[in-house]
Amino acid sequence: MNQNIRHAGVKFLNTLSRHADLIMQVYLSGAIDASKQDSSVVETLVQAGILWRPEAESELRLKQAIRVMLEGNLHDDRNRQIDANIGSSLASLKTLTQHYKEAMHHARYVESETYMTDLSQHVYALTESLANSVRVLFSRINNEFGYVSSIDAKIRENQLAQDQVSELLKQLEMFQFDELSELAGSNRELRHLLVVTLQQSFSKVTQELSIVQARLLSLLGRFREFRGRTRLLKGFMLHMEQKPDFTLPDYSQLTQAPLLFNQAKPVIKAASADVRRIEHESVMQELVGTIKALNRVRPIDSKERAAINIDVSEQTSVVFKEDKLKQAVENYFCDVIDSGQRITALEYQRQNNLPFDPEAWIYQVIGGYQGLTAEEQSYFALEATGEDDPVYTGNYIIHDVELGLR
Amino acid sequence: MITEQGRILEALLSGTFICQISDEDAWRFLKISGNAEKIESHLTMLNRTLATCAEGDVFFAAYQTLGNSERKVLATQFQEISSNLLPLVEWLVLVQQANGSDVPITQSSAIRLNELQSIIEDTPAFSEQLAKISHYRFFGSTSVSSDGQIKQVFKRLTDLGYLLKPNPEKQIYLATGKVEYLYDVLKFIDETEALSLSEQAENAVQQGSLL
Repeated sequence: MNQNIRHAGVKFLNTLSRHADLIMQVYLSGAIDASKQDSSVVETLVQAGILWRPEAESELRLKQAIRVMLEGNLHDDRNRQIDANIGSSLASLKTLTQHYKEAMHHARYVESETYMTDLSQHVYALTESLANSVRVLFSRINNEFGYVSSIDAKIRENQLAQDQVSELLKQLEMFQFDELSELAGSNRELRHLLVVTLQQSFSKVTQELSIVQARLLSLLGRFREFRGRTRLLKGFMLHMEQKPDFTLPDYSQLTQAPLLFNQAKPVIKAASADVRRIEHESVMQELVGTIKALNRVRPIDSKERAAINIDVSEQTSVVFKEDKLKQAVENYFCDVIDSGQRITALEYQRQNNLPFDPEAWIYQVIGGYQGLTAEEQSYFALEATGEDDPVYTGNYIIHDVELGLR
Repeated sequence: MITEQGRILEALLSGTFICQISDEDAWRFLKISGNAEKIESHLTMLNRTLATCAEGDVFFAAYQTLGNSERKVLATQFQEISSNLLPLVEWLVLVQQANGSDVPITQSSAIRLNELQSIIEDTPAFSEQLAKISHYRFFGSTSVSSDGQIKQVFKRLTDLGYLLKPNPEKQIYLATGKVEYLYDVLKFIDETEALSLSEQAENAVQQGSLL
């Protein structure tokens, strides 16, 4: 019998390994079209109970047992199933214990040995499945439900996980250690299995579950916060689209301006260099050194540009000024011709509120007179009023000039 | 040598927002109870006070009492904030949509400029949106290429302290606490004006899914 089981098992595992590629393909894609595969291979796999057809005409799928084995081994995130059926496991443990005790009582040691092996197997399976459930939950939390993209889906996943945690906790309440300890009685091996091992795993799992629960709640809070923010942003955009003329009242002018809109103006400006600080001397020298170095490079690229700019603006402004002055002098001459009256240059300037410097004005008048042709000059008489310089002889200081017709 | 306290004071007085991303040392200092009071006493001298937002995770300097001149400053500031709000919100939504992860930009979110740029350039709707956003006066881009636009937008946001480039060699930007400030402003407006923005967005989504 034993030999047969071993033989069948090895054969089954060999089938698995021989068709590993195909099995992984089915695992990843969920189902496979039998018509596209080698029919004999598919037939073997179906016979071995690895693939099955849920309905006639439908595609081939992996048997759940194989899928669970792969998920457990690959730590696959998609594994959302949590085995929370602790009640039935506990019931089978109790039954096996009673079988064992009965066999011991009747001194059927070989039989009792088998029951003990079974019992250990069941106890360890239970602890393993508990640890596995917690691991699955943690792995989902750690990548923040990364296998779904939208925040809403994450919130739903989170709620599923929370339900699973509470279900698991509810199931854990079924552990009644007083009952188990009574069942184990004074048998050392039974006590070790039923009380010590289970209690250790129980306390570890409850502790971890409470961490899981806290993490799930904080994650849910974060997801809700994200959702709230996204809605806030989109809501604002929608609002501005619907009411483009929406303006905010100026909150900063309320009697109690909200802190959010109360930002003080920056006041700090860079400090200035103190050239009298001896301890700063070396630093400043260095700085000055860099300035020189910069200056040596600069003229090449900046001189031409700067020069062009200045030339253009200065020329126009100078011409403009001269034009005005010339114009005024011409007007002055014309005025004298029109009125036939003698009038001094300064008086004319005062009467017409001309905005020139008196000295420049007088110079220009004299220059204007000198600039006339000899024939034109003969029509006018220009008389300067002034005095000799008190210190330097030979210099004549002109205070004003008077222009009249000859 | 300037003390840590002096450095923080200087940062606050020059109008900086202090958060965990922009200045972790200062942020930690201010988070320790008692330290904030020390800074506060210096600020009071200059009619300023230590203000926080984003549930106490972002610090800045506010006026202690508001006279006429302070109100004038605040009025211009408010003008700026309210006119910059829409460009910033649109930018945040664009980045979120382009990332496709449905997670909004918050403090310490990392934005990879190159990835974002290639997604935006490959999606005409996003590049149109980017062009619209970048031509707001707030961002002030005149470029016609997505490349120029996105660079100008990121440069401007970095200058204004919304983003931080921790490594000058890499095109990775981190969002600072100033983004949180932005959310606070939005929340404040939502509550004060009773706009119920979230409901508006939710209704729009539901109507969209019905169509």
